Amino acid sequence: MSTEQEPDTATQESQRSGPLVAVTRWLENLGETAFAYLLLTPVFVILGAIALYPLLRTLELSMYINVLGTGDPEFVGLQNYIDMFTGARDPDFPGSTTFLPDIATSSSFPFVHVGGWFRSALVVTLVFTVVSVFFETLIGFGQALILDQEFRGRRLVRVAIIIPWAVPLVIQGMIFYLMFHPSTGFLTEYLANLGLLAPTNTLNDPLSALIIVTVADIWKTTAFMALLILAGLQSVDRSLYDVAKVAGASRWQQFKLITLPLVLPAVAIAVLFRTIDAMRVYGLIDIASSCTVVPSLSCMVVETFNTNRGLASAIAFVTAGIIGILAMVVIYRQYKEGF
Amino acid sequence: MATTTEQQSDSSDSENGILAQWTQGVIGDDEKRSRLYRALFYVACGFFLVTTLFPFYWLLVLALTPNSQILTGDWSLPVIGLEFPHPQGFNPQAFVEVFQQIPFHLYVFNSFVLATITTIIVLLVASLAGYVFGRLEFPGKGPLMLAVLMVSYFPPAAFLIPLFDAFLGNAVVIPFLGIELFQPPRLVNTPGSMILPFSALFMPLAIFILTTFYAQIPDGLEDAARVEGTTRLGALFRVIMPLSAPGVATAAVLTFIAVYNEYFFSSIMALENVPENWSPLVGGILSYQDQYTTDFNLMAAASIVGVIPILILVVVAQERIVSGLTAGGLKE
Repeated sequence: MSTEQEPDTATQESQRSGPLVAVTRWLENLGETAFAYLLLTPVFVILGAIALYPLLRTLELSMYINVLGTGDPEFVGLQNYIDMFTGARDPDFPGSTTFLPDIATSSSFPFVHVGGWFRSALVVTLVFTVVSVFFETLIGFGQALILDQEFRGRRLVRVAIIIPWAVPLVIQGMIFYLMFHPSTGFLTEYLANLGLLAPTNTLNDPLSALIIVTVADIWKTTAFMALLILAGLQSVDRSLYDVAKVAGASRWQQFKLITLPLVLPAVAIAVLFRTIDAMRVYGLIDIASSCTVVPSLSCMVVETFNTNRGLASAIAFVTAGIIGILAMVVIYRQYKEGF
Repeated sequence: MATTTEQQSDSSDSENGILAQWTQGVIGDDEKRSRLYRALFYVACGFFLVTTLFPFYWLLVLALTPNSQILTGDWSLPVIGLEFPHPQGFNPQAFVEVFQQIPFHLYVFNSFVLATITTIIVLLVASLAGYVFGRLEFPGKGPLMLAVLMVSYFPPAAFLIPLFDAFLGNAVVIPFLGIELFQPPRLVNTPGSMILPFSALFMPLAIFILTTFYAQIPDGLEDAARVEGTTRLGALFRVIMPLSAPGVATAAVLTFIAVYNEYFFSSIMALENVPENWSPLVGGILSYQDQYTTDFNLMAAASIVGVIPILILVVVAQERIVSGLTAGGLKE
């Protein structure tokens, strides 16, 4: 580290001279505010170049058509967005996927015959998010309650619960790909008999693949939920339970009247984080199934950005916008509490 | 379960049903009830152990079973006849073949290099920011922290297109003004095209973890160092950073795991899945899928090899991971 070369004590410092000492002295004489801004410069240079610039540029590109074509890009304002929501852009989506559900082609009721519903990027992303976050919260709460106890083998159980969270996405996807692949899988037959999955070509069936991807996500990310809820559980004042026991409350009453209300804020934050994160799903789908089978919003950006950059940018910005609305909720809460 | 059997013997001379007796016992007797709770607790524990660890067992079964056996698709158990995956044959050779088919070790090496460099960059830069946010008071602190927070919320897809363009070597244009700034070097197929987005992507979490840890160090220690004549930066690197070593280690472990696990930029920025293009683990595992589609045992064996470094890290650093995720999560 750069400070290693600096003199050790102030006396040495004052005797020496040279560029390094001059810089050190200049730093010392800066006011606290200037010093703070100076130290923050590297962070904001990186975030500005790698995050802010691409974001603004994406917004700009989303207002053009023919970005990649031979002619000049043409400014069309919000036309890309309008076309996307009216379905005029759907022919540019890969593999007969759409942005909004094409209800006209899905002749029957959504939950009996799903038809066009699960060809829609928006529907698929929202369904994936809601279902996976719901089950992750439920199971994560259970895991957190277990980890909150003192018992023999607690470390082992904790490692077992964390491990799926640390598994690389590509390996997670590979596990579930192999589990349901027609030549290797063993579960497909059972689940097809129960009517949950398509019996053949399971990973290429939109609804079956969506279910598999959702289960895979629940398997991996529940641990994250469990750890955040566990933090909430451990901040509950233990003496409350002693009081409740003296008052004769049963375990269930203790849970319902003390644990649950005190932990709910932590659960709410965890749910928001997971929701924001689940909205970005891409890699898991790309490996376990295919982006044209389970068209999430991020998938559509990757699938179209080499053919229609204006449209891809518009999808990217809509995704960012939906996430931004959720993020505002978190930020509003943060703002109310102060840092 | 102990409770059940004991209760059954008690109820032998009773006219009531066994279940009703047992229920009565559980409701009435505190000790029996707590034994029931304990039994339920261990059942739940067992359930979570099985569901989280079963996929790894599945990978191991696939890796050890010769591929010709896998392709028969027959997993029925010898006597019972139930379909359940179990090793058919014993073929540890697959773990050697993994490295013979493609240079898998080079992909893992690439992942390690990318993760290490990113972690160093993130720690250096986030340390400064964590120090500022955790220990200094200045105007604009709240909005600046919000700005960092915002970045962590955006999907990578929202950054992809302009970054990809720039990394191909196309000119960087000021948005909405059309002014060309400069022609960046062609970064695709180099570590830079992944390390740069990784750094921005994982910087916010590291900043929030370090902010939490730095804020906990008593002011007196820093003041003492300053009285001794240390500079502000000297105090950061010689007093505050060593004291918050657990926080730094936590941020390092989480950043390393995050980069090793990343998929989005890892799969896009190396244009071909070859190690010379700095394609990481992702590219390695996917190249079994591309070229040797039928070698399922190798895909499984490669996945096991790829997951082992992470398993070791989780077992060694589980305390750090738990404290980091909760500290970073609660602060964020």
